[in-house]
Amino acid sequence: MNADLALQLGIQGLLTGGIYGLIGLGLSLIFGVMGVINFAHGQMIVMGMYVSFWILTLFGIDPYLSLMVVAAVIFALGYLVQSTIVNRIIDYPEAMQVVPLVSLGLILENMALLFWGPDHRSPETALGLDAIRVGSATIDVSRLMAFGLAILFTLCIFLFLKKSNLGKSIRAAADNRTGAILVGIKVNRINNISFALGAATTGAAGALLLPLMPVTPHLGHDFTLIAFVVVILGGMGNLLGALFGGLILGLAESLSALWLPATMKHLVSFGILVVIMLFKPHGLFGGKR
Amino acid sequence: MNRLYMFMAAALALILALPLWLDKYTLGIFVMIFYYAYLGQSWNVLTGYTGHISLGHALYVGIGAYTSTFLAQTWGISPWIGMLAGGLLSMTVALCMGYLGFRFGLRGVYFVILTIGFAEITRLIVSHIEALGSFSGIFLDFNPSFINFQFRGNMPYYYISLGFMVVSMIVVRLIETSRLGRFMIATREDEDAAEALGVNTFKYSMIAIAISAFMTALAGTFYANYIFYLHPATLFGMALSIELIMRPIIGGMGTVLGPVIGSFILTPLSEISRAYFAKGGLEGLHLILYGILAILVVLFMPRGIIVYLKGASQWIFNSADKK
Amino acid sequence: MGLFFWVRVVAVVSQFLVLAKLTSTCNMEGGFMMDRKDQNVKGMNRRTFIKVSGAAGLGLSLTSFGVPTLLRAEPAPIKIGSVQPATGPLAMIGQGQRRGNLLAAEYINSMGGIKSMDGAKLKLLLGDSESKPEVGRQEADRLIKEGAVMLTGPFQSGVAMAIATLCEQRQVPFVMDVAALDAITRKGYKYTFRVFITAKGLVGGAVKYLKMVTKEKKVMPKRAVVTNTADAFGKGMSGGFIKFLGKSGLPIEIVERIQYPLGIHDLSAEVARIKAAKPDIIFPVSRPGDSVILTRELYKQRVELMGIFCPGSPGWYEPEVIKDLGDLILYVLINVPWINPSSPVYKQANKAFLKAYGKYLDTNSAYAYTGVLVLADALERAGSTKPEALLKALHKTYYKDPPVLGGPVQFNERGDNIGAMTGLIQVQPDPDPLKRVKIVAPKEFAQSDKIVFPAPQLWERG
Repeated sequence: MNADLALQLGIQGLLTGGIYGLIGLGLSLIFGVMGVINFAHGQMIVMGMYVSFWILTLFGIDPYLSLMVVAAVIFALGYLVQSTIVNRIIDYPEAMQVVPLVSLGLILENMALLFWGPDHRSPETALGLDAIRVGSATIDVSRLMAFGLAILFTLCIFLFLKKSNLGKSIRAAADNRTGAILVGIKVNRINNISFALGAATTGAAGALLLPLMPVTPHLGHDFTLIAFVVVILGGMGNLLGALFGGLILGLAESLSALWLPATMKHLVSFGILVVIMLFKPHGLFGGKR
Repeated sequence: MNRLYMFMAAALALILALPLWLDKYTLGIFVMIFYYAYLGQSWNVLTGYTGHISLGHALYVGIGAYTSTFLAQTWGISPWIGMLAGGLLSMTVALCMGYLGFRFGLRGVYFVILTIGFAEITRLIVSHIEALGSFSGIFLDFNPSFINFQFRGNMPYYYISLGFMVVSMIVVRLIETSRLGRFMIATREDEDAAEALGVNTFKYSMIAIAISAFMTALAGTFYANYIFYLHPATLFGMALSIELIMRPIIGGMGTVLGPVIGSFILTPLSEISRAYFAKGGLEGLHLILYGILAILVVLFMPRGIIVYLKGASQWIFNSADKK
Repeated sequence: MGLFFWVRVVAVVSQFLVLAKLTSTCNMEGGFMMDRKDQNVKGMNRRTFIKVSGAAGLGLSLTSFGVPTLLRAEPAPIKIGSVQPATGPLAMIGQGQRRGNLLAAEYINSMGGIKSMDGAKLKLLLGDSESKPEVGRQEADRLIKEGAVMLTGPFQSGVAMAIATLCEQRQVPFVMDVAALDAITRKGYKYTFRVFITAKGLVGGAVKYLKMVTKEKKVMPKRAVVTNTADAFGKGMSGGFIKFLGKSGLPIEIVERIQYPLGIHDLSAEVARIKAAKPDIIFPVSRPGDSVILTRELYKQRVELMGIFCPGSPGWYEPEVIKDLGDLILYVLINVPWINPSSPVYKQANKAFLKAYGKYLDTNSAYAYTGVLVLADALERAGSTKPEALLKALHKTYYKDPPVLGGPVQFNERGDNIGAMTGLIQVQPDPDPLKRVKIVAPKEFAQSDKIVFPAPQLWERG
């Protein structure tokens, strides 16, 4: 076995894992608070990518600088979706919740197609082609940025939920809805905010992904699938779990390239997923049931 | 209830006679209506009646399609027999998965992800088997004959798919009215309570998933000999799994008529919106409209269209009684 | 069981019938439908129309009441159908193809329509396969019902297969503009034709040009990596290429073959493997999207190469890709059934395309354009829309000077175009990014007389 290659794959796996964690973060947050699986998750990431793409093309502002703006736009989108659709279906049986959110994904995807066309767009970004060389290994700067910011975001949201008043209300609503209503928490508003917050992290993820891959309306499905695996691995609703789930997955997929063809990458991730589910049904780090 | 049966008999008679008036394309729409109604019904057996949500039913469609096609291409076995083989194989796979899922007590989201995981794993495995065409998929030969399950016109496909749908309705109705059905529904309503009352929920969940998988696989053989091209991504992919649950959910889960009504509404809807709006310059608009309508239906008819239709039919029948 | 009850039942049933009728009459013209047989009858006069509509029955004729039939002075337009993946993952190519089809029909009409049929205009009916075989089949069936006498499309080989079988069932000629997999025309179907080159022809061209370049430049890459997307086209293409390369006698060893899923968004691990294999040259079979990721990743990881030689696939010549990749895409060599820049038809088509969509007509759109031209040519010679006459005309096709490279379009007994050929193109520096793609071989079409190979390393440019 080639040691240089293994080192390179390890580094890349770790960095990709951070990105996977970021992709899963919003899904986990939304599930943790409301118990709703956001099937339009991937499409929301794509929306984030498009927003940062347009900011870059129209105003020449790099995705890293427009990050917060993108997050704000997708925050608004999430708030809108929550207050118009998700709040109404929150008490439906789980199977019924699938249809509106899948349809929302379909709508977002085809809006992107209708308004912005089917082209793969991948403009050059400031750090898009930069890489740091350490010995024989290469560290991709845009991936490193995404990795670092993913960890930062996860920690920020984690602390926000732990320390701030709003965060405490969100956790209270997540633990016991009726109880939260009884102590005077406006659960609907809390739901709106937490869904929007989850959406905002997906938007930020989109902005961080733009330098890494061409954006096209159809990307969303894969993101949703990755997010599922990451989140289940870490435990639904467990934010730090999602980050670790992402790291495990990234490493496993990347290192599998030593022995397996790239087309089997996802076989590794789903294999891990099924095995872990059977032995730790609620994720490696415990999650909401 | 009698009147409902009479009404359905009248509707069936009408549907049986429809090909006399319809052209091939419209027949094709009906074939898709029946096909999706049948798939929805098969899914309904598991999710509608026992409450275990499966988002990986494409798995069984794929197994059915690939098994019968493989048998036909390799040993010249008629797809009619291959269909049953596919059904049995997919039943076996479903029982394995069901055993793992139910034994380990996976519920809700976790069971959903398990079904997705199994479908994806199978898709990836099939994509790497040369004998099954790997990523390229299988191109079927077109040799029209009854034995080969292939026909020149749409008429035979129409009656076969109709037969599938009607038989599936009868089967589900029989299950619903039997002891088995009652135990399945008890499992759905409250698994712990049912267990406490002595219902072996594990056993009934296993029976439900076996029936559901067997039925779904038969549709796979139909698909193979109607479309003539099998591809792992279209047959095992999540897109198909989602497509096939839309209709029973919108029509009404856990009812015999729900999947059928859902399909009679949703399939023509997607067809019409595509025909009208998929023009040059507005690519994607038809899918947006389809999505908006699906959301509206679920928001305003949360228990499925069937509940509202029941209201409407009661209005017909009640006012008839007054006369 | 009162009378009133039955009245209601009848009302419900008739509503159902109306619904069925509505579904069956919906088409691009918004409800106006004519039977395929009827529309062959030129200039149907008022009396027959009334007779027909009277016979059709009061209720149903309402929906098929066709005002245009009464007012029409010129012959009925001839309908042809185009099914392309206008939505879904291949929408980028699908919409380009649809535009090619549309512009070609416009061009034929502006030149006076089908002259042998009193200058009848072409009417292109559009279908969207959503990149799915079953939808493609249903859409094709709809277009046939709406009166399409021939079909073209559909880019994806899988969808092509579904439509080819349908056309065999319905006995409607199907002229594929693009779809490369050999298997489609190996089923012995009578109604299927292909304007595009076969995968075998594509691979043959690649090896031929590779020999030419290495001989001319007197350099020989020793180690090569082949990459491809894991789909029907990618696998068939790269497999065929490896086989042909083995037989060609070129001393090139394939040290690694990397397949990755269609629509992948991270190739860092794959490129790390490529780097570890220390290749001199890469043969990628790609799609737009992964070509961009691959090239950037090769740059970032500093993989030293003599160059990138694409044996024939999209992803290297589209205007978007050229623009986004900037200097990195320079000097890529691509073997592709390319456009013929000196053909007057191409010049005209490219001008119209540039004006309408702001892009040049690349190979897929140009083949879509050619597909419709070939259909029009067959109609012209058949002078009729009957399937048998059209089949006969298609078999005798000799379409000179198509807007794509190669000889006249002629179909062999399988329906494959024996005139189709590939060219070698290279992306070379040019101040106008739309003019960067240059034909370098064959010589009679060449736009640039020099081939740059080996190319400067990706990070040593500008």
